[in-house]
Amino acid sequence: MTTPLTLALSRRGDGRRVLTAVGEIDMSNVARFAAELAGTSDGAPLVVDLTGVGYLDSAGLAALFAHAAHVELVATPLLEPVLTVSGLTTLLTVHGLDGAGRDGDGRDGAAPEG
Amino acid sequence: MGGAEPAGLLFPGSGEMSARMREHPWGDTPMGAPDAWPASLRTAVRICLTSRFPMIVWWGPELRFLYNDAYLPLLGTNHPALGKPGERVWTEIWHIIGPMLESVMATGEATWSEDLLLPLIRHGYLEETYWTYSYSPLHDDDGAVRGVFTAVSDTTERVIGERRLAVLQDLGAQAGNARSVAEACGLVAEVLARAGRDVPFGAVYLRRPDGDGFELAATGDPDAGAAAFVQGAAGWPVEEAVRTGEPVTVADVRDRFPPLPAGGWESPPAEAVVLPLAGETGAEPIGAVVLAATAGRTLDDAYASFLALVARQIAALVNAAIAYQDQQRRAEELAELDRAKTAFFSNISHEFRTPLTLIMGPLQELRASLGDADERTRTELDVVHRNGLRLGKLVNTLLDFSRIEAGRMQAAYEPVDLAAVTADLASVFRSAVDRAGLAFEVDCPPLPEPVYIDRGMWEKVVLNLLSNALKFTFDGAIRVRVRARDGHAVVTVADTGVGVPEHEIPRLFERFHRIENARSRSNEGSGIGLALVQELVGLHGGTITAASRPGEGTAFTIALPFGAAHLPAASIVPAGSGEALPAGADPYVQEALRWLPDGAQPEPAYGGEVQAAGPALAARVLIADDNADMRQYLARLLEAAGYEVTAVTDGRAALDAVRADPPDLVVSDVMMPRMSGLQLVAALRGDRRTAGTPVLLLSARAGQEASIEGLEAGADDYLVKPFSAAELLARVRANVQLARLRNHHARWRTALVDSLQEAFFVVDADGSVIEINAAFADILGYGPEGLPYAFRHPWWPDPDADPEGFALFTQVYERLLETGKGSFTYPARHRDGHQVWLAASFNPVTDPDTGATLVVGTFRDVTADHYAVQRETATAALSLRLSEAGSLADALTGALGELRGLWNARRVVAALFTPDGAEPAVTATGPDAVGWDGLDPALRAELTALRDRPPLSPAGTGVTLEHPGGLLAVHIEPHRGRPFTEEDRTLLALLSGRLAQGLHRVHQIDQQRETALTLQRAILGPADLPDGFAVRYEPATPPLEVGGDWYDTVRLPDGRIGIVVGDCVGRGLAAATVMGQLRSACRALLIQDARPSAALVALDHFAASIPGAFCSTVFCGVLDPATGELTYSSAGHPPGILTHPDGTVLMLDQARALPLAARPGRPRPEATCSMPPRGTLLLYTDGLVERRRRPLSAGIDQAGAAVQAGRTAPLDELAGQIMARLAPEEGYDDDVALLIYRHPAPLDVAFPAESGQLAPVRSALRDWLGACGLAPRQIQSVLVAAGEACANAIEHGYRDSPGSTVRMRVSATADDLYLAVEDSGTWRPPRPEENAHRGRGLPLMRAMMNRVTVLHEATGTTVDMHTRIGS
Repeated sequence: MTTPLTLALSRRGDGRRVLTAVGEIDMSNVARFAAELAGTSDGAPLVVDLTGVGYLDSAGLAALFAHAAHVELVATPLLEPVLTVSGLTTLLTVHGLDGAGRDGDGRDGAAPEG
Repeated sequence: MGGAEPAGLLFPGSGEMSARMREHPWGDTPMGAPDAWPASLRTAVRICLTSRFPMIVWWGPELRFLYNDAYLPLLGTNHPALGKPGERVWTEIWHIIGPMLESVMATGEATWSEDLLLPLIRHGYLEETYWTYSYSPLHDDDGAVRGVFTAVSDTTERVIGERRLAVLQDLGAQAGNARSVAEACGLVAEVLARAGRDVPFGAVYLRRPDGDGFELAATGDPDAGAAAFVQGAAGWPVEEAVRTGEPVTVADVRDRFPPLPAGGWESPPAEAVVLPLAGETGAEPIGAVVLAATAGRTLDDAYASFLALVARQIAALVNAAIAYQDQQRRAEELAELDRAKTAFFSNISHEFRTPLTLIMGPLQELRASLGDADERTRTELDVVHRNGLRLGKLVNTLLDFSRIEAGRMQAAYEPVDLAAVTADLASVFRSAVDRAGLAFEVDCPPLPEPVYIDRGMWEKVVLNLLSNALKFTFDGAIRVRVRARDGHAVVTVADTGVGVPEHEIPRLFERFHRIENARSRSNEGSGIGLALVQELVGLHGGTITAASRPGEGTAFTIALPFGAAHLPAASIVPAGSGEALPAGADPYVQEALRWLPDGAQPEPAYGGEVQAAGPALAARVLIADDNADMRQYLARLLEAAGYEVTAVTDGRAALDAVRADPPDLVVSDVMMPRMSGLQLVAALRGDRRTAGTPVLLLSARAGQEASIEGLEAGADDYLVKPFSAAELLARVRANVQLARLRNHHARWRTALVDSLQEAFFVVDADGSVIEINAAFADILGYGPEGLPYAFRHPWWPDPDADPEGFALFTQVYERLLETGKGSFTYPARHRDGHQVWLAASFNPVTDPDTGATLVVGTFRDVTADHYAVQRETATAALSLRLSEAGSLADALTGALGELRGLWNARRVVAALFTPDGAEPAVTATGPDAVGWDGLDPALRAELTALRDRPPLSPAGTGVTLEHPGGLLAVHIEPHRGRPFTEEDRTLLALLSGRLAQGLHRVHQIDQQRETALTLQRAILGPADLPDGFAVRYEPATPPLEVGGDWYDTVRLPDGRIGIVVGDCVGRGLAAATVMGQLRSACRALLIQDARPSAALVALDHFAASIPGAFCSTVFCGVLDPATGELTYSSAGHPPGILTHPDGTVLMLDQARALPLAARPGRPRPEATCSMPPRGTLLLYTDGLVERRRRPLSAGIDQAGAAVQAGRTAPLDELAGQIMARLAPEEGYDDDVALLIYRHPAPLDVAFPAESGQLAPVRSALRDWLGACGLAPRQIQSVLVAAGEACANAIEHGYRDSPGSTVRMRVSATADDLYLAVEDSGTWRPPRPEENAHRGRGLPLMRAMMNRVTVLHEATGTTVDMHTRIGS
């Protein structure tokens, strides 16, 4: 049994590929997440949309670190502490942490900070 | 507890008082029925009834009086007095004992009174009695002092006995003080006046000197006019007592005479005894003494024997005075005789020559003719001859002097060859000098011209000088030299003897002068030899000088002028006309030979050869004389008179002999080598043991001065040589008799002291024991042979083995030396090592001889009493301890403590051997618990050996007894060196018997109690509470563990929780039974219908059917733990208190209605409230908040404040804090039940170590954190931290033990959140190179939480995390 997670690959209007994750990422399903990242990683830029991810643990972070060179992230402020503490924000661009200016078809669902 | 005990158990025994107590209508008295008595009273009564010692229990405000059989004699005619108020029993002494009892009642402190004088009517008359009382408080079950326990001992006999002994000692101390009968009577009167308590009136009547009737000689009361009583039939029966020689009791004193002195008692004497005063052995009574008995004591046998002893002492004092007067008279007569004798001898001394000549002449013939006679005859004749010569020489010398002094010396000077004459004279001494082992050098070359000398005189000059030289020379040589010098013939006699100190040289030639302390072959000598030599040389116109150095020798030099011009012409005779040589030399030589060792012949024993003459006094006489003839002569004389004689040669030997075995008399010469007679007397008198030995001094030195010197030195008599055999025998006889008379008192005193049952001893100012009696030796094993016993005496307790005994002894001895008096009981060590308890009393006395202060003491061996009391006390203490014990373990611990205290042991260890052979359970005194394995192997072996012994028979310091669980081996470890005696073992056996009984009794109670407790706990409430709850329960009446209050939690079928807190009216067992029913009913009702109001309505009906349930109050609520919603209804119960995390306090005071069963059938209200996140609910009963003189609301506010103050504390801690903060100073006096709940209840999940579990766990945690009121962002942080910890745990679990469990626990207080994740694996340190992402877990946790600690243990790893809520 693994933690529910859906992964969908799409392409934005500007042609950039977007990997959209919805659910939670932890050690039970990180392998799938990492495989999807690897499969789409051909050196071209990739946007990983984590707006629908409510939980990301160190295993998920590790998967992102592996592809930090050509990945941009979109995430809600909910994930900001994890991304910041891990130092990932210093390696790649993260959009949406300020709660605005999200790109693409980012979902509305993150709870406002409070 | 409580319950009736059979009267036989409460009042055990078959004695009179037991019977009386059983039959006593207690229920009709203020003390009430014994069933309702406090346990302490029942225990005290039991101890009282089973004791052999008099004991009293005073109970209640009126001090009602309960006593035992042993007390009956003390109570006398006041019996029966059972249950009477104390004041009505002991009315006559209530002013004394009432305040003491009241003091114990008021302060709870024990007190005692020692040797209390209580005038009592117990045998029909007001009696002088003494008592030692102890008063101890008796507490009731609530600890209040309700009565007094008194143990009593009758000390009358001891106090009176000691006082009587003091009177006898006072009388005894007068011995030897009186020089006349009148003085003796005066002393007796003084003593009687001091002894009023025991002899209120006394009068001594002595026979008139004319033998006609009696006259008053002494009375202790000069005002009594006792003389008037002696006359006529109405007077004292003095005549009768003297005639019959028996005491006569006068029983009608008050009728016959005006009131006699009362001696400090309240009424005058009623009885008196007239006792005859015995004369010296065998003689007629000398009179009688009247001794009245105090009205405070009956004239019993003991009193009569005491008065008889007083009479004997008085008789002895008077007789001694009579004897002393006789002795004085005889001494005066003897002195008169001496004076006459001296004059006589002086006048006729010149007459000696004729009889001496008549003796010596025939003697010479006899010796010649009896040359072949038997040895004995020749020896006798030799003695006569020698002493005849010596006497003649002395007489001649004396006559020479008188002639010289009178100018009547007839000299005949003829010209002689002085060298030849002198050499001839010297040769006479050669054999004596040779025998003395000395060189003899005679150097006498012819002189150029003759010298005129009187041959007889010259002979005396030379012989005296030679005799002198021999006497004082022990080695070396004697030289005689003749020379011519400056017109003089110079003759020198020199020796290498002891020499003369320089200051003595000018006095050498003084007449009768003797050099003191000079070492010599003999102390014989008159001191006139050299004086005569000087006189004689002077008559020759010559001079004599002496030169000497001590230790080197002495030289006498005589210078005689040549020619005859210096001599009276009439005295010149032609050469060759003088006497032949050397006519007068024999006495000198014979005398000198007697000084020399004669082959060390033993002194001849004369005993068998001389017939005893006259009645023998079986007395032993020691003779000391350096003159062998005198020694033998005296021995012969005294042995013939029937004395046992020992003879020694000087004072030193005499002293040794006396010390070894004191004779009845010492006859000693004054002048003796080594130690003179005077020194001997001084030495004897200086030693207490020999001071009483009489000494008769013999001396050649006549004259008043010499005899005074001898008597002053302490000699008893003084005899001047020469003396007659009859005179010597008379003196010896008189002195022996006198000494016996004089020592009579001392001997009588010694005999009296030795006959005392009590030990007797005398201590000097240094603390040394200088006299003891036979009982002393019996009790302590140290006899008179070791006297004096210096401080610290060998019978002191060993400071190491028996420190308390040593301390007590030291204390007693300090008191003794300080004040010299007092009575004490203390331990001592017998010579064989065992402990002896002594009851001693001391009194100071003054030594009549020296004036020094001594302490006289007596003691009894009270070891048996001591141990009896110790046993009683120890048994009582143990029984009390056992009766107080709440459990078997308590009882054993307490009992071991008692044993340890009793023996002051280092430790007491008990091992319980159970029948199943399991490892013995160990109980030991001391702070640390020990197990069987923790014991020393030797001790284990000892305990195991004890197990095999029959119960209650101690071995070593241990004993075995039956324990309800098996066999209990008890081992006492005494302090090092402290002996464990047979007495100790007896006590141990006795106590272990008690202990076994006690343990069985406690065991029974234990079992009953266990049952009761199980039942109580079943009544009280659930043992396991739902999460988030904490409870406290405090019953008002320990040892009961339940009361009328209760709390309850009920898990309802729909997941909600029923909460009930209630309070029945009253407390104790009755309320608890009601409570149990209400609790169960309420529980059942809630399960059936989860509406609090409905449950209470139903409970109303139920309560109406239970007596005692009326007006119980109940708070009943139903809580949804998920939402915190609480529905509740209150039946008259104090409001619940809800505290918000911000400190706001809310009262749950809605839905209130009447207490239970007040109006059954009425509907009840219901209210709802919502528990805020991290809010705390407090439910309680009024015992927590209700205080006298304080509104309930104040207590409720206080409770709210306590919850608020503890809002950051863990829940169970908070419950404890509330109980502590609200507790009154003296503790809760009502039942208290308390229940708290903090919302939400802690989350506690356990899940298999599989990653698939992470999501559901996270979800549950997210919900819980939401219910806890955390902000989403903080929720996320906690989720990440918890997730990382759980992921780690799963990794560990997978790796090491698949399928193992991970546990996560989360709880919150008002401000803090605690999270813990536990696994059973081993921690993996971060290794990024192996698995890059795992290395980020711990930093993430640390970043998300305030504190993270990781604890690795063999059993697993725990991650503890904490964060402040809202941070």
